[in-house]
Amino acid sequence: MIQVKYFGIIAEAAKRDSEDIGEENVTLSKILSDLSSRHNLGEYNFQIAVNRKIVSNYSDQKLSNGDEIAFLPPFSGG
Amino acid sequence: MNRYIRQITLPQVGLSGQQKLIKSKVLVIGAGGLGCAVLPYLAAAGIGKIGIIDGDRIEESNLHRQVLYSSEQLGYFKAKEAANSIIRNNPEVDILVFEEYLTPKNAPSIFKEFDLIIDATDNLFIRYVINDTCVELGKPFVYGSIHQFQGQVSVFNYQDGPSYRDIFPQENQSAPNCAEAGVLGTTVGLIGMLQANEAIKIILEIGDVLSGKLLIYDLLRNSQQVFEFGKVPKNKKTNISPSFEMIIAEEAVLKEGILLDVREMDELPEIQSENLLQIPLSILAQKQEDLDKEKEYLIFCQSGVRSLKAAQYLSEKGFQKLKLIRGGAKDLIQVTKNEKSIS
Repeated sequence: MIQVKYFGIIAEAAKRDSEDIGEENVTLSKILSDLSSRHNLGEYNFQIAVNRKIVSNYSDQKLSNGDEIAFLPPFSGG
Repeated sequence: MNRYIRQITLPQVGLSGQQKLIKSKVLVIGAGGLGCAVLPYLAAAGIGKIGIIDGDRIEESNLHRQVLYSSEQLGYFKAKEAANSIIRNNPEVDILVFEEYLTPKNAPSIFKEFDLIIDATDNLFIRYVINDTCVELGKPFVYGSIHQFQGQVSVFNYQDGPSYRDIFPQENQSAPNCAEAGVLGTTVGLIGMLQANEAIKIILEIGDVLSGKLLIYDLLRNSQQVFEFGKVPKNKKTNISPSFEMIIAEEAVLKEGILLDVREMDELPEIQSENLLQIPLSILAQKQEDLDKEKEYLIFCQSGVRSLKAAQYLSEKGFQKLKLIRGGAKDLIQVTKNEKSIS
């Protein structure tokens, strides 16, 4: 089980704050492209954190059971 | 010193800590929701010199969260009124008021007067100006921003730590501000307070500073999470320093230049003006030949991100008379509406 958390405008776009996905031993980029097309996130700007660490290069990172992914968009209200 | 006795009593502060606060010089950019929380606490703590920069005037729709202002002050400059309010608490503070917007042009000379910058703005474009100027001058800045009931806080460029571009390198995207997304006063209040708290810790050199860490606070769920990040190697960054003159909507409609709307055709609010030309950023490259290099273009979009992209593109193509309209369509609709009611 991998837990996905959505913040800010991404949570609005995905219509949820979090969800669990059953896939294991998949790459981060595969999961991101799946979630991105499922929730129409293509036009948004966000960073990805895995287990509370922001990843700058996630091309071949593998995820395993218990990992947490977070979608972090920039905020701009003040 | 009797004024500060309760904080001097803290072993982490003491007399030497109070001296650090009194010697410190802090610039607060934006006297809106975040600024109204940051400013009174910095002044009360005894920060020696506080700069306040904001070109906005007080509007009725600000009052539910910008608690330094009152109903009698509508139409007055926020920077000046905020200064008047905090000086009443602590007349010992030296306050510098800038009744103007921060721009790529004025940022370096203003930043030089201060040791620490607080980003209390609601504008992504300005955030990159703040970041790049801080990196250039080697000054840390305390970032705070909100989206509805959530807030982000971090400290960038602190002791050679990562900058805002290390998390969000892309400028070509937009994010909604309070006017578009809505906000409760308590949310900006709490996030602003966290910014003031980081600023005081930095000056006192105590505790753990949120450098390389992005705090996300969710006020609906009372949860907070910290995400860590590092510096991204320079060659992977897209470092585009904006250097276009910005003008306000009121000024833009009085100019002879052409108002260039780079939003997509169906975006609201729709701006109506005889001087308006709409070319979405997505097709600007194809339509560039329709534009005249001799003419002045006043470019706008929704949040200031796409208009900057458009200006950068046109500048590369040899256009020289380019200006960006601050506040974009949101401000222009107010001004063009007024025009109609006058005529």
